[in-house]
Amino acid sequence: MHKERIRRVLSLCFIVLLWSPFSASNATEVTDYERARWDPIHFKPAIDNATDEQCLACHQEVLEPSVKPQSPAGVKATDALAWYQTLDVYSGDQETFHRRHLVTPLAKKLMNLKCNFCHQGNGPRDETPYPDTKGDGSYTLRKMVNPEETCLRCHGQFNYKIMTGLPGHWNDVREMMGNSCLSCHAIFRTERHQVNYLNADAIEAATKEKTADGKENSDICFGCHGGRAWYQLEFPYPRHAWKGQDPKVPDWAKDRPTESEERFRLPAKPVVEKVADKVVEKVADKPAAAAKADTAAKPAKSATDAKKASD
Amino acid sequence: METQQKDTAKIKEAIKRRKRVVYQPVVPDMQLGFVHHNVDCIGCRACEMACKDKNGLPPGPRFRRVQYVEGGTYPDVYAYKVNMSCNHCAQPACLPTCPTGAIWKHKENGVVDIDSTLCIGCRRCEAACPFGAPQFDPSDGLVKKCNLCIDELEAGRKPYCVAACMMRVLDVGPIDQIREGKFESKAIGPHDTTVRAIKNLANPNLTNPSIAFVPHSKAKVDI
Repeated sequence: MHKERIRRVLSLCFIVLLWSPFSASNATEVTDYERARWDPIHFKPAIDNATDEQCLACHQEVLEPSVKPQSPAGVKATDALAWYQTLDVYSGDQETFHRRHLVTPLAKKLMNLKCNFCHQGNGPRDETPYPDTKGDGSYTLRKMVNPEETCLRCHGQFNYKIMTGLPGHWNDVREMMGNSCLSCHAIFRTERHQVNYLNADAIEAATKEKTADGKENSDICFGCHGGRAWYQLEFPYPRHAWKGQDPKVPDWAKDRPTESEERFRLPAKPVVEKVADKVVEKVADKPAAAAKADTAAKPAKSATDAKKASD
Repeated sequence: METQQKDTAKIKEAIKRRKRVVYQPVVPDMQLGFVHHNVDCIGCRACEMACKDKNGLPPGPRFRRVQYVEGGTYPDVYAYKVNMSCNHCAQPACLPTCPTGAIWKHKENGVVDIDSTLCIGCRRCEAACPFGAPQFDPSDGLVKKCNLCIDELEAGRKPYCVAACMMRVLDVGPIDQIREGKFESKAIGPHDTTVRAIKNLANPNLTNPSIAFVPHSKAKVDI
C-alpha cells in the first residue's frame, strides 16, 4: 500500500516535470492582455526611452480616423465646425485629437511630438501614472497625462495684460494690429521653439507665409498660442530671454523657469570652434604676463592647442 | 434651391466667425459641487456601482471613480481614497472643445451636461478635461459623462452616487457654501475644513472644478 502511494507520487512528479518546460515556454511566448498592461514599458524608467513604434504596436487605433460621419441624432460632422477648422491655416475634415497632434499635414510640418511627450507612464489599476511608495509618484489623479505639463507647453490663456502695447484680447484687436503677431514679435523673439518637440525652422518659415491676397495672417501663431485657451492658466513654459531683453524679471514672470526640461532640449551644437574663439579672446584680453602664467598652468587649454583641436 | 444654398454658406460663415472669437463661460445662478471625505471613505465603490446602474453603462466607462492612494515606508505608511466624477467646472474645458454643441452648462445650477445623441465621437472633450470626466463608450463610439443626475436634482433628490454612499462621505451642495464651511453635511465633520486641491489632482486653476475635499494628512498641498 505504502509502495503504491510512493509510486503514484513519483509518477505524478514525473508528469509535472515533463510538462513544465512547455508551460514555461507558453508563459513567455503568450503576452495576454493582463501581462501587456503590466509591461515595464508602461512605467518609469522604460517609458522615457519608448519609441512611437513600440507604443503603436499595441495602441495603433489612436491614429485611425474615428470621427463618426454623423451623430445618433443626425448631426453631420461636415455640418459642424471644430474650432481648429475656423483657422485659415487648417484645411480638412474633423480629426481626432491624437491625429491632429501627430499625423495630420500641419502637425507633421510644425511639430515633432512623440507618444511619451505626453504619456509618462500609468498604473493600470486606476488609470493614473503609478506612484512609487516612497514619494508622490508625480502622477495625476484620473488622468493619463498632466495637462499643465503637456498642453500648456503651447496652449494657454492669451495674457494680453502683460503684453506692452496690446490694448485688448487678440480676438478684439486682431484687425487693429494688422492681423500680424510679427508686427511686435519680430523684435520680441524668444528662443521658445528651440525644443525637440517642435520644428523650429518650419514654424519660422510658416510665420512668414501670407494669405492669398498678400496679407499677414496671425492664425499660424494664434492657432496654438491663445486661440485654444480651454484652460484658465497662462503659459507656464520656460521663459527664454530674447536678445536685448531687460535683465530685470517682471513680477508676472517670477519663478518661471528659463530653460526647458532636459528631455526637451535639443542636442548641443558643436562648440569646439566657439571654445577656441573664446579662449583666443580671453588670452588677447589678458596682460601678456598673466596670459603666459595661465598658459603655463594649463598648457592643453592654450589658444594654439584649442585652435589645433578645432582644426 | 440656390437661395437655400447661399443661406447655408452664409450661416456656416457666421458660425465660423463666431466660433473663432467667442467663448464666454456661463456664470450660473448657483454652482453645485461635490464634497468628498478622503479619510473616512472606505473605497467600497457603491457610488460607482450606483452610477453605472443608473446610467446603464457597459464595462469600461465609469463616470465616477474611486481611486486608492497608498504609499510610505513602514512604519510610516498611509492609504486614502479620492472619489471623483465630473467636477462641473466653473470654466469647463470640455465645453468649448465640442464641435457639435453636445456639451452645455445649466444656468440655474452650473451642471455641465451632455447630450450624447449629438456626439460624433471625436473625443476632444476627453482629451481636454484635466480630471478624466468624459468617458468614451467603445460599445457605441460615443462620449458620455456625469450630469449630476440632473433628473434627480430636478425632482428634489440627490444624485445616485450620493444616495448610495453608505459612509456618507460624499455629498453635493452649493460649492460656495461648502468652501465657506456653511454647508451642513455628514461628509464634513464638525472640526473638518475643506480644501479645493489635494496632492496629485490636476491644477484646479486650469478649469476651477466644483469639488472640495476633506483631505488626508498626506494629501494636503498648498494651492
